[in-house]
Amino acid sequence: MKNIFFSIITLATVAVITVSCNQFSNKNNDQQATDSTVLSETQTLPSSEQNDTVASTADTLAKQSKKIDVKEQVQNFSIAPIVKDYLVLKNALVADNDKAAASAGKQLLATLKAVDMKAIPANKHKDYMEIADDAKENAEHIGDNAGKIDHQREHLAPLSKDVSDLIALFGSPQKLYQDHCPMYNDGKGAIWISESKEIKNPYYGSQMISCGSVKKTY
Amino acid sequence: MKSKLKIIAMVLLFLFIAIQVYQPTLNVDKGQVYQTDFIQSSNVPIEVGNILRTSCYDCHSNNTNYVWYDYIQPARFLVENHIKSAKEDLNFNDWGKYSNRKQERLLTSIKKQIKTGKMPLPSYTLMHKDAELNNAQIKILTSWLEEQE
Repeated sequence: MKNIFFSIITLATVAVITVSCNQFSNKNNDQQATDSTVLSETQTLPSSEQNDTVASTADTLAKQSKKIDVKEQVQNFSIAPIVKDYLVLKNALVADNDKAAASAGKQLLATLKAVDMKAIPANKHKDYMEIADDAKENAEHIGDNAGKIDHQREHLAPLSKDVSDLIALFGSPQKLYQDHCPMYNDGKGAIWISESKEIKNPYYGSQMISCGSVKKTY
Repeated sequence: MKSKLKIIAMVLLFLFIAIQVYQPTLNVDKGQVYQTDFIQSSNVPIEVGNILRTSCYDCHSNNTNYVWYDYIQPARFLVENHIKSAKEDLNFNDWGKYSNRKQERLLTSIKKQIKTGKMPLPSYTLMHKDAELNNAQIKILTSWLEEQE
């Protein structure tokens, strides 16, 4: 009896510890996530060694290269990686593939999280943040809902609007089309962005693959 | 054989008692008034507001009307996790803090979820009968939401 009693208490303690440890490791994960974003930010430092101007002192040289860095980064910001992930996601929904859409959603979320805010011109920060926050939530939901393709498509509509607004804000990185599906959302319609002129409807997939029309060309 | 069953029963009983130790904070706000609340700020008709409070606010606000078994583990744990993720998606108390973009998206999404019977969650209404929406209530909510778009 004593033995049983002892083992029960041990088990109970283990249970309590597991629960509290679980909470702890969650916190740890968060920490790691922020660490890695910091890391990716620092990686974008360009090589200042190439600026081999001999005349100026080390101090002014440093200042100069810093100026160039900022300028370069501003010019370097491109929404190309976001658009690329969005297109993969959109095409997965065209193909009625909820699993591929989910992994593309996760990839898009990761890409959005890795965006270096310093690279975005200051006057566009606020607009970008608002769009990106919304896009992140949409991407996350699509990523979490493999098996529920209707729900994924529900989030494609606002996500497409986000991407279209990003293009309006930063310009298009490639030849793109804004297509319109008049039926979706109880006849209110929804847009999507496509890389090909041919209509391939991501809201209905094979059900109504060619439904829709090109509204805009970027 | 009998004693083995007894041991198992004892183990389960003790585990049950042990997990009661874990009590996350309750989702209650003690009657706080929010400037940013959806019903306060969006000119919501009383009828619509009442339905939202009964059927949605338990998980999508900072105040939950708990029932007695919500206080007992493991229900406590499940309920609290559920409320946390629900509030991350939509917290009616914080409505005014959301961007127009997000509000617009949420309105469409709320309407769709209610219309298709996905919300309130069947697993929730199973135990909270008063939160279940009848057809008339669904009609009231969706037609009002329709007007907001």
